[in-house]
Amino acid sequence: MSPPELTALQAALAAVVHGQDDAATGLVLALVAREHAYLEGPPGCGKSALGRALGRACGARAAELAFHRDASAADLLGEVRLRRERLPARGGERIALELAAGPSAHAEVLLLDDLARAPGEALGLLLRVLAERRLGRRALPLECAVATAGPPDLESYADPLEPTQLDRFAVQLRLHGLVGARRFGVARALLDREPLADAPVVLDTEKRHALQARAAALSIAPAARAALLRAVEALARAAASEPALLSDRAFARAAPRILQANALLRGAPQVEPADVRALRFMLARRVPEALEPELPGILEEAIADTPSTVVGARPAAAVERTGQAPAPSSGAADAAVPVDSLEAHNAPLDAVAPLAAARGEDEGAAVEALVAALAGALERGAVERGDDPGGQPRAFRRMRRLDEIADADPVDAQLFVEGRQPHGARVYRRARRNAGGVLAVLRDVSASMEGRLARWAGEVVAGLVRVGARRRMRLGYVEFNHEAERFAAGGAFFHRRYRRVLALASRRRAEGRTNYEAPLRAALAEFKSTAGRDRHIVLLSDGVPVLGDPAVRSERALARRLGVKVHTVFLGLGECPAVLDEISRETEGLRFEARPRADGRLVVKERERASPVPTRSKGDS
Amino acid sequence: MKHGLQRLRELLDDHVVGHDDAKQALLLALVCREHIYLEGPPGSAKTRMAELAARGASLGFFFYQMHRDTRLSELVGDVVLERRPLAEGEGERIHQAIEPGGILTADVCVLDDISRAPGEALNVLLRVLNERKFGERQIPLLTAIATSNPLRDEYYNEPLDPANLDRFAIQLRVSGLIQSGDRAAARALVDRFADGRVVEQPEPAPVLSRTQLDAAYAELARIDVPAAEKDRLVELLRRLVVDYDCNETNSLLTDRSFLVKAVKLLRGRALLAGRSRVERGDLAVLSLMTTFRVPEEVAAKVPALIEEIAA
Repeated sequence: MSPPELTALQAALAAVVHGQDDAATGLVLALVAREHAYLEGPPGCGKSALGRALGRACGARAAELAFHRDASAADLLGEVRLRRERLPARGGERIALELAAGPSAHAEVLLLDDLARAPGEALGLLLRVLAERRLGRRALPLECAVATAGPPDLESYADPLEPTQLDRFAVQLRLHGLVGARRFGVARALLDREPLADAPVVLDTEKRHALQARAAALSIAPAARAALLRAVEALARAAASEPALLSDRAFARAAPRILQANALLRGAPQVEPADVRALRFMLARRVPEALEPELPGILEEAIADTPSTVVGARPAAAVERTGQAPAPSSGAADAAVPVDSLEAHNAPLDAVAPLAAARGEDEGAAVEALVAALAGALERGAVERGDDPGGQPRAFRRMRRLDEIADADPVDAQLFVEGRQPHGARVYRRARRNAGGVLAVLRDVSASMEGRLARWAGEVVAGLVRVGARRRMRLGYVEFNHEAERFAAGGAFFHRRYRRVLALASRRRAEGRTNYEAPLRAALAEFKSTAGRDRHIVLLSDGVPVLGDPAVRSERALARRLGVKVHTVFLGLGECPAVLDEISRETEGLRFEARPRADGRLVVKERERASPVPTRSKGDS
Repeated sequence: MKHGLQRLRELLDDHVVGHDDAKQALLLALVCREHIYLEGPPGSAKTRMAELAARGASLGFFFYQMHRDTRLSELVGDVVLERRPLAEGEGERIHQAIEPGGILTADVCVLDDISRAPGEALNVLLRVLNERKFGERQIPLLTAIATSNPLRDEYYNEPLDPANLDRFAIQLRVSGLIQSGDRAAARALVDRFADGRVVEQPEPAPVLSRTQLDAAYAELARIDVPAAEKDRLVELLRRLVVDYDCNETNSLLTDRSFLVKAVKLLRGRALLAGRSRVERGDLAVLSLMTTFRVPEEVAAKVPALIEEIAA
């Protein structure tokens, strides 16, 4: 029999957010286990509302932190104050900034809204404070922090969270909107309900602490411990080469508490193997997303301890998984792809086996030079250009540390020192490099792209992927001949699965004829739905387009309108088609040509200057 | 004194399951006054061990979480402004000063996630660590313990510069007990947490003092290194260079590390074992130095190579 308080708490959450019962249960478990929770999902599916409702319904002192690009850990945890002291001994005065704990330092339930928007340095520090529940020498009363974030592949404005940061959240759940998840029946029922604006308060601090203590006191049967370990081992096996986050911190430290909370919720006298099912609330970002449909099965096997036969069946399940990948593979399902090109079709990334290292055998200096030149173009795009004549950055922000006084506006700094500006001076906001951007690589795989050229093109793609990975860019990858094949991951064309694209880059394919219109059209259609500056296409080709519009007029115009720079690389012996130059010139992209010499080495030139790109080539010396 | 070191080891064992290598390496680093670099995935107790080792010795302790915007000024204390009146009628002067703190006053510092810091801050920091000097000022630092995540797509880190990596005499990989597939250790770990035997925020009573560590360091110099062991050290280096093709481009077999610090570590291991003489088995400690200094596939073979040479 579940404790009535917990049933009431679940009901209170459900009264505010309809149809997200898993998330509500996950939050209740997190609260009872005194662990932190992370909710990921598209905008408007009730993430923040759930977090807020939890704080209110459980009667805790609640606080909320809204994250933004300029949030610093100090801002989030409290208020930076100025302290001025007389220095009687030496004469004069000493000015220091100090941190005064703010409302979040007193909170028992803390909502971290839009967590991924904060810059990495603020997050690292904040999450450490949350994990230790300690700020300086002061113990925080924090019981449960609930973080929300948008889906990582859709966020153009934020860096994705890292595993280190995610691991601090024991409970992790992926939410889907009712409509998005096609739960139309539940969606219909929502229309008949009058959702509560505020959750009813059903617990108080004393009751809450009593529940937490009851959960912590539940003993964990040896069979349950064994089942937990079996489950983690099975997850590791199932994830295989894909990165999984099966840390000791999560599964040895946090998991037992979650199981205890689950047992309490079930009203069981002790933790039993069946409670291992609660691990599903911990897995959203710890195992590859593609594994999600298999998780219940894996957990059930671990609970029942019947590994031998079923493990053998796993590969079959995996095959099935790639078959029903979110992006339809080809043919009939094309209608679902929101691209108006007849030729373009999607291929699932999952169908390609990941490769440990995609560094090919012909890794020439020429490739490095070309990639370096392109990387330079990508980086340049990332730095903000101001219009100020003096070249000074125009944006200001508040001062956070006293050593930033060097960056302060001189007049502001003076006012600050005189004590007339107690909040600190305004300092220049510096433009940051290495922050995102979008890159589509279009690679010609027509029949003439074979042997050395294909290998070389693969190297260039791999180099670009590494550049993209370093800058955390979102990547899209298209191979084209007479038609264009887009490789999507998890339904999104632009994504950060760099290793998968590396694996693709090392494939050799050479068939069909050349068409520039199809790939450009397919890629630009995707750029239409992305935001932000810093958008690039790299087009690699060895031939003259014989299909589609050879001048790609409408695509050039579209690229200009969207602000996408198209860089072109021509490979091979023939004449570089003028259209490549036109495309790049119009869109402010770079233009390269790479020609094999008599000794078989490739020489790379930037076409504008018609002089060799500086290389560290061994062959040239 | 050895007793104090033993108690520190016991303290580590009380709080952290498994990770024998890392515990031994941390003690060695403290005794030899060398810096240590631990690399491993999130949640594998790196930071916890580093923190325990540092706090368990009653030493000035400084913890810093590195990030992409780390500035050197955050590591050396608080920046303050000072206003001083000048001579009568000449107004006042305002200047920036540093109130020493952080790595300038600590005996042990833990630099968490070191590979996230930007290169320029790191370079200066590591020079300070190496020389144990800031400006003209000698700092009391004994050991810096750095941790980092492995280099992978998912982490925002850049590889440490080889020269920077060389500042850390001791280097090792830590892996999670669960992920490394060590069933017994994983079970022990789960049991410990499941039984509620873990203190979440241990503030251990110090078991080792600076005086004891200073005495240990003095004793280190008196430990005898027999000629045969020196021969074996050179033999190991010869084999690495000649048989395994370690050269100056793919490896970091620097004289500083392998002719000076290596001997110190050999002595340190003897000291920890309570001996006054380096023995053949102590050679094993050298594999803690090669982890990231030779190519990965060679590093994997070093323990076997050392055994072969010792035999």
